[in-house]
Amino acid sequence: MDKTTHFGYQQVAESEKAAKVAEVFHSVAAQYDVMNDLMSAGLHRLWKRFAVAQAGLRPGMKVLDVAGGTADLTRLFLKEVGDTGQVLLTDINFSMLREGRDRMLNEGRTPPAIQCDGERLPFPDDYFDCVSVAFGLRNMTHKDQALAEMNRVLKPGGRLLVLEFSKIWKPLEPAYDLYSFKLLPLMGKLVAKDAGSYQYLAESIRMHPGQKELKAMMETAGFAKVSYHNLTAGVVALHKGFKV
Amino acid sequence: MNPKLLEILVCPVCKGPLDWKKPAHELVCRACRLAYPIRDDIPVMLPEEARALSPDEIHGKA
Repeated sequence: MDKTTHFGYQQVAESEKAAKVAEVFHSVAAQYDVMNDLMSAGLHRLWKRFAVAQAGLRPGMKVLDVAGGTADLTRLFLKEVGDTGQVLLTDINFSMLREGRDRMLNEGRTPPAIQCDGERLPFPDDYFDCVSVAFGLRNMTHKDQALAEMNRVLKPGGRLLVLEFSKIWKPLEPAYDLYSFKLLPLMGKLVAKDAGSYQYLAESIRMHPGQKELKAMMETAGFAKVSYHNLTAGVVALHKGFKV
Repeated sequence: MNPKLLEILVCPVCKGPLDWKKPAHELVCRACRLAYPIRDDIPVMLPEEARALSPDEIHGKA
């Protein structure tokens, strides 16, 4: 029997999770940006800006955007590193990646886009100054393997940014649960015509490690000086760590 | 595909170099005997999407 893992609240075989996640994102790709604005009341834009401000980028630096999807972070990173720098947009999901790539082409930019798995990155050791994964780690089957790969491709001294849903401040939990399990699937149904994918979103957030657990996972993967910053009362946290 | 990418990309399995087979729209890893497709100018660097090379291709006849 294959080892099992969680897919939201369901238990599925490890080998099945990636395909199930792919189905979710294939289904929501076209409505992804609209839904993000709607669900977070635009806050996701601020969370992403905060993450990019914490990247410590200078012109000429090399950045890898893992699970970069519709290119929100990639576009912000490009402004920081300029024409002499390099930002690679990657995602495991072809539908999401094409949305991001086409959106940038429409703005007159030609970013390199690569379809790849965060757990098996097609890049050399010690290459990037910064690696980011925003709202992506949660969906990966082997998070420890993905963190180890991100560590491998970073230059010594390079930094990893993990922007992800986290554990909300305890007193707000009941309201947040009501929002996540009643309103989110309803919005998903009305706007993206897909309640199931947004039910998965709410469940996968509950199953994802909290602030302290993720910090410990990053340290186990070899990152030093790991710190985190709660955003919007811990709805989201930005974790930062450095390759030694 | 952006040619600069070829200088960066490695095989996701063995992390070795790749050959760009332009007419076939593929990136080939000889060590792993895999050809990764390039679809709509996007290199698809997933082993489960790659094509296994035939014996002729491995010996450089094709």
